[in-house]
Amino acid sequence: MRVVHYLNQFFAGIGGEEAAGAPPEVRDGAQGPGRLLQQLLGPEAQVTRTLVCGDNYAAENLEQLTAWALDRVREAEADLFVAGPCFEAGRYGVATGALCAAVQQQLGIPAVTGMAEENPGVDLYRKDLYIIDSGTNVTAMREAVSRMASLALRLLAGEEVGPPSEAGYHPRGLIRDAFVEETAAQRLVRMVYAKATGAKYESELRGAVFPKVPAPPPVIDLSRAKVAIVTDGGVVPKGNPDRIQGNAAQNWGAYSIAGIDDLRAEDYEITHGGYDKRYVEEDPDRMVPVDVMRELERQGVVGKVHDQFISTSGLANPIANSRRLGREIAKKLKEDGVDAVILVSA
Amino acid sequence: MRLTLFVHPITDLRLGGETRIEGTALTVGEEELRGALLQDSRLESVAFEVVRAGEHARIGGVFDVIEPRAKQPGDGYDFPGAISPMALAGRGTTHVLRGMTVAVLGEPSGSVIEMSGPWAEWCPFSALHHLVVIPNPRPELPRHMALNARKQAGLRAAAYLARASLGLPPADTEMYESDGPSQPRVEGVPRVAYIAQVHSRQFVAEVDEQILYGHNTTGMVPVVLHPNEWLDGAVLAPNAGLNVLTYHYQNHPILTELYRWQNEGKVALVGTIATMAGGDNFDRDLNCTLAAELTKWALDADAAILTKTGGGAPHADMGYTAKLLEDMGVKTAVMVGPPNLSPERTVESSTLFNYPEVDAIVFNSGGAYFELPAAKVERVVAPSPEAAEALFNLEKLAASRVTGVTSQQGAQRLRALVY
Repeated sequence: MRVVHYLNQFFAGIGGEEAAGAPPEVRDGAQGPGRLLQQLLGPEAQVTRTLVCGDNYAAENLEQLTAWALDRVREAEADLFVAGPCFEAGRYGVATGALCAAVQQQLGIPAVTGMAEENPGVDLYRKDLYIIDSGTNVTAMREAVSRMASLALRLLAGEEVGPPSEAGYHPRGLIRDAFVEETAAQRLVRMVYAKATGAKYESELRGAVFPKVPAPPPVIDLSRAKVAIVTDGGVVPKGNPDRIQGNAAQNWGAYSIAGIDDLRAEDYEITHGGYDKRYVEEDPDRMVPVDVMRELERQGVVGKVHDQFISTSGLANPIANSRRLGREIAKKLKEDGVDAVILVSA
Repeated sequence: MRLTLFVHPITDLRLGGETRIEGTALTVGEEELRGALLQDSRLESVAFEVVRAGEHARIGGVFDVIEPRAKQPGDGYDFPGAISPMALAGRGTTHVLRGMTVAVLGEPSGSVIEMSGPWAEWCPFSALHHLVVIPNPRPELPRHMALNARKQAGLRAAAYLARASLGLPPADTEMYESDGPSQPRVEGVPRVAYIAQVHSRQFVAEVDEQILYGHNTTGMVPVVLHPNEWLDGAVLAPNAGLNVLTYHYQNHPILTELYRWQNEGKVALVGTIATMAGGDNFDRDLNCTLAAELTKWALDADAAILTKTGGGAPHADMGYTAKLLEDMGVKTAVMVGPPNLSPERTVESSTLFNYPEVDAIVFNSGGAYFELPAAKVERVVAPSPEAAEALFNLEKLAASRVTGVTSQQGAQRLRALVY
């Protein structure tokens, strides 16, 4: 079993910050922490090559480095790629994350790295990779490498990796269902008691952190703007011509309201399953307010109502998917010369 | 306030001529019960089936599950406000038939009680006996009226059965007592409140939907309830189910657990708040703010457990209420999921709030993507012969289909683990 290991200039013994511009190079066999890795992986495994690169060089030339590293790993006919551990070193972590993700995805072999929670590489690559929690303390090298080695051996053997707390990796944010002895009620009471008495407790879920979306600049003159109605409330023409799913919709539709002043109940249906649809079924303008917008158009409050409304279903829609739908819709509306959008949510 | 349960274990259940309890065997006088239920002219007919623990059977199309309970005469009314006059629930003595349920059937799409097979280990009702009640409302009734007729038939049957135990010595007694917020503060013993949504205004409550003392919660703002009121029939599962069962209000997993900790001297259960998930932003802000305010200032709680009823909007409202509580210095633990319908199965798509201080989260599986093989059964009890036929040869059943496996009331043992 052949292993390729990646190190930065510091752990490869070239030097510290002053050597961070070092270009990539290939060395034979295990180097630095790689010797420990070799020992912990056991006699079956051979660290045949070590790839070395300076952190600044990696940060500034990540794409070239990745392509170069992929070639070197391929050449080595490696069964496993290991990078780091990187502890808190940010540029190092981001580089090993990118390299591991590329190797795993393009060469189809397991890739393992290790970083401290604070390393920016963790949030960038936790979803794609097993990143061992190395902690911040470099003197704990042996422990970090030992965890990386045992995780790598499990991946190579195709074994269940187990939960992050047992295997020691940063949670990837993937959900698995499992039965437990304690009911949710018992866990709740235990947790609230611990929190109230200042004792330790472990949340079963950490709140997601979402990037802030900056507010777009205001519409300068609404009376000259073309305004579109966009809804996630699942209002679609009768028969749902675009087959928009009620749950986790994969697509959206654009429906003409040219010459229409008021949506008629008999022409529309609702594909969304997460709200009380009866009121919108009675009068679709409650979700897609064509009637009011036409009035504002006549009064000159808005320049023009776009002659299509856009609809999808927002129910239980994964964020990545919602982002894609949003981008597609924005692109279409830009092309249609729309200046402003009224978003009506269910 | 003190509630005493006189527990009468039921280990055998059958239909027969006259309703009576002999030892731990309950015979249900079928004709008498039918006559009692058909006094409700909204019902055209009603059918009964007995399903015993250990049978290779499946009960399908479950609408609600109710534990048979009857108030000791003079101590209150059965399901007050819903099928009896309004009166305070939660004090005096209530007779309980333990070991059985009244399982009320409704739409064929309702959940399923697996009496055998892999699910039987995890379905909280598999080891119990069931009197299955299949009420058939008149077809011309509006849907909401049919649902109410169904709900009331189940409640009436539950009270009727338990009345057979009045006057019998209980095999066991259980005591639930809390002095509420007036109990003195004890150093090191946190004062804990429970805040539960009893309804989600994502769906407008029907005019005759009986949720809180028979009230449909329209126009309601959060109210303080004594824990015993939940246990004693004041709160009922909403028509839409939403992973809530009347049985789990009567045997509320969170409240009974809090009582257990209180009996061990570790917490003081100071009270509960019944609230709603909002129908719009104002409603949301109003309910969340008042629920938090009552918890802090009416209950003087140090800590609170929060649960939701329904889907995404209730989840967000629960999180916001917890955040308001944390701002006021009240420590919180909340329960996320079910339903978690998102097929992506990532943490990113599972949390609908982002408050760093709301950091004690119990995370349940949504249930829709976890399947086990369905049991091979000899018998299916369902709302109609066609429904029974359709439920006979099932390959697999998702957790969300099995009654009580996914629960907003804390009964759930199917966790969502973050990998």
